[in-house]
Amino acid sequence: MTKKSLTLSVIFIIMLLLAACSSTNKEQANEAEDSNDKPVETEDNKVDTSLLPMKVVNEGEAIEGGTLHVGLVADSPFKGVFLAELYVDATDSSIMSYASNGLFNVDGDFLITDEGIAKLDVDTDNKKVTITIQGDVNWSDGTPLMAEDLIYPYEIIGHPDYDGVRYDDDFKNIIGAEEYHDGKADTISGIKKIDDKSIEISLKKISPAIFSGGDGLWGYAAPKHQLESIAIKDLISSDAVRKNPITLGAFKYDQIVNGESVQFVANEHYYKGKPKVDKLIIKVVSTSTVGEALKAGQFDIASFPATQYDSVKDLTNISILGRPELSYGYLGFKLGHYDQEKGENVYDEKAKMNDVDLRKAIAYAMDIETVTDRFYQGLRVRANSLIPPAFKTYYDDTLEGYHYNPEKAKQLLDAAGYKDIDGDGIREDKEGNKFTIRLAAMSGSDTAEAIIEYYRQNWKDVGLDVQLTTGRLIEFNNFYDKVQADDPEIDIFIAAWSTGTNPSPAGLYSKGAAFNFSRYVSDDLTKLLNDIDSQEALDATYRAQAFRKWQEYMADKAMVVPMLFSTSTIAINNRIKSYNIDRETGTEIQDLELIADEPIK
Amino acid sequence: MWKTVVRRVLVMIPQLFILSLIVFILAKQMPGDPFTGLITPETDPSRIEELRIQAGFYDPWYEQYYRWIANALQGDFGQSYTYKIAVSTLIGERALNTFWLSLLSVILVYLLAIPLGMLAGRKQDTLLDKIIILYSFISFAIPTFVLSLVFLFVFGYRLMWFPTSGTVDVGLESGTLTYYWNKIYHLLLPAMTAAILGTTGIIQYLRSEIIDAKTQDYVKTARSKGIPIRRIYTRHIFRNSVLPIAAFLGFTITGLLGGSIFIETIYGYPGMGELFISSITSRDYSVITALIMLYGFLALLGSLLSDIIMSIVDPRIRID
Repeated sequence: MTKKSLTLSVIFIIMLLLAACSSTNKEQANEAEDSNDKPVETEDNKVDTSLLPMKVVNEGEAIEGGTLHVGLVADSPFKGVFLAELYVDATDSSIMSYASNGLFNVDGDFLITDEGIAKLDVDTDNKKVTITIQGDVNWSDGTPLMAEDLIYPYEIIGHPDYDGVRYDDDFKNIIGAEEYHDGKADTISGIKKIDDKSIEISLKKISPAIFSGGDGLWGYAAPKHQLESIAIKDLISSDAVRKNPITLGAFKYDQIVNGESVQFVANEHYYKGKPKVDKLIIKVVSTSTVGEALKAGQFDIASFPATQYDSVKDLTNISILGRPELSYGYLGFKLGHYDQEKGENVYDEKAKMNDVDLRKAIAYAMDIETVTDRFYQGLRVRANSLIPPAFKTYYDDTLEGYHYNPEKAKQLLDAAGYKDIDGDGIREDKEGNKFTIRLAAMSGSDTAEAIIEYYRQNWKDVGLDVQLTTGRLIEFNNFYDKVQADDPEIDIFIAAWSTGTNPSPAGLYSKGAAFNFSRYVSDDLTKLLNDIDSQEALDATYRAQAFRKWQEYMADKAMVVPMLFSTSTIAINNRIKSYNIDRETGTEIQDLELIADEPIK
Repeated sequence: MWKTVVRRVLVMIPQLFILSLIVFILAKQMPGDPFTGLITPETDPSRIEELRIQAGFYDPWYEQYYRWIANALQGDFGQSYTYKIAVSTLIGERALNTFWLSLLSVILVYLLAIPLGMLAGRKQDTLLDKIIILYSFISFAIPTFVLSLVFLFVFGYRLMWFPTSGTVDVGLESGTLTYYWNKIYHLLLPAMTAAILGTTGIIQYLRSEIIDAKTQDYVKTARSKGIPIRRIYTRHIFRNSVLPIAAFLGFTITGLLGGSIFIETIYGYPGMGELFISSITSRDYSVITALIMLYGFLALLGSLLSDIIMSIVDPRIRID
């Protein structure tokens, strides 16, 4: 299971350091502003996320072994914490994916299947799960994987000295976790070893999220024989985590140059068989030079940011593959505040933005398609839902979302009573007072300013005066501080979420969720959200249905309007025999073969 | 003189104390904290609050300050929030990388700038002088990242003379001769870039000092004594002209740990500049404060060193 949490800070830092294509994009923005007559309605309203192929096959005879070169695009050194329980940095997680201690395999919806190292059995009646190691699995040092190695991660995360983010409400769902964390017990009472190869975990409640690795279930093993002699508080700085980690993955760590590169060698103990390539070298490359590096044939595989697409797309020695990312960009409306003491959101009927037609009009007025075409070369598309398309079963592709339609926006505003009374081209509010909407938006990429200006122009075209909170774009940390604190200077805000592999929206939109930034609460919404994670939803079709209902409700109330879906782009050198990046059916790293001794230039 | 040095060192203590207070308070005033960047739908906001409480962010500032300064005085600058290792270890690693890079570039700067400056001054107003001046203007005007990228593309990717990123190749046995050569090999291109950008000041100073010196009485005397021109330049004029450069030597020495964000980012070289900027964006308080204290200390030390060096090379200057 890849429980990747690409943190927002990382996205931000990457955006901040991008040093490319600003001038051309600004020209494009002006160009875009000039052309006012755009197709209002296209025949196909569906969101197309398949600009790039998911797989490539190169002709040629496979060579024996070889060294695979992987480029890791980052503008700062990696942190080097190679233990699933402890890392936070997304680059560390990319590196670890080649030497993963993951126990479970997942399907296209990121639900746990029976094909992984371990099998998950859920006993909903008794609120127990059993995890069983299937067959003989060994660590990269040859030691067999035992039940103790499955229990140890829980003892790391639950430990009083553990200072990571993973000791959370979900984790407290394990019986005895809190007592262990508070130092009242030496072990977690709810976790029992059944025999050498299986463990049983007792939980307070079981929801469908368990199959996405939620409800406190942890999807990784930790090499207890290597780690147990190290005190938990020293673990993160220990050599076992930073210099010579032991893994269950296809490759094992051979040498690590701190912050720069890692050399892996094929793991002869890998449960699916030794990889076909002998060595894998992964190296950090900066955003501004990745295009040149690919051209020079330095890398066989490199996942690069969409902003570098222009510098890469014409290269003949590589193929570019793309797949939908687990994230979405959105426009949020402030409709209340968060009561810190009660720990719940308070919806305010009288909020300035609490008019559903006004919200819809604002959404209809935004020409997102032009932005995706001109600024993102189609690598981002207009979003129609708050569930990213990567979740195949849960994503509702029939939703239309808010297609650019200024006329409809005007009609909605007229009907809702927002009329231009004094004839200055700007609408007044229902009572005839001056009406200014304050938008909070993040600085970061070179194009952020141009894009926001373009949207402001869009809104002005329909008669809405939108001004920036603080008068300029806001730096990432400051932005989230203001949004989270319900700053009165914010009426609407543009932000993004990366969702991780658990699609349950409860953490972002429920009554108690501190991250429910719009602060919208209703009984209907609570019911829909509860339904998604209810007992009945353990049935897959029921759950898919519940997701659909919730997506429709959100689209209807428009308190959060989805704006963008992203495609992640991966360059593959022509010396790789074949490669498929589909999350479900894609190439597994141990099967990868090369057809030349060096990457093709 | 030594009395003065001791006095200056003693004055540093209150200076650094005030600096630490300002830095500490301003760092905490920045919006957000190290945990702001951790929010994803999968993280639990209450856990983040818990971590903030654990880290003591809600205590009054003077308590936080007292805790920090008390530890700092014992050499413990805490743990980096993003790297999760001791700040001293982290800065130590980066400082070493930056030190070697800066040292090599400073050596290259002097090797390049001193002959050029002297030539330009001596052959004043000739074509050669004009070319050197033109070069120094260009190197002064060109932005760091432009030159870095151009060099990287030309010498790294096109001609493939130099490695394109990192401090050392992975897979080499540490401690062997090949390993050290590989490290130096990785240093050359970024050091050259930094060196070319750093020559302007020295060339210009040296040139104008030499032009000045040419008309001085002592040169006339030397010439009338029949000393060969060449000798006058290398012995008499050079010693005097190099004085203003010596004045900066203290800063140059302590500046070795400064680092350059552009060069480090483009060449993928983990150094101090990158650490400084990224610790600010990620609100890694413990690293920010430790780095600013270090830079503050180095700046004070640099000025002291410069004064000492001046008093040694120029007997007219006395510090007391």
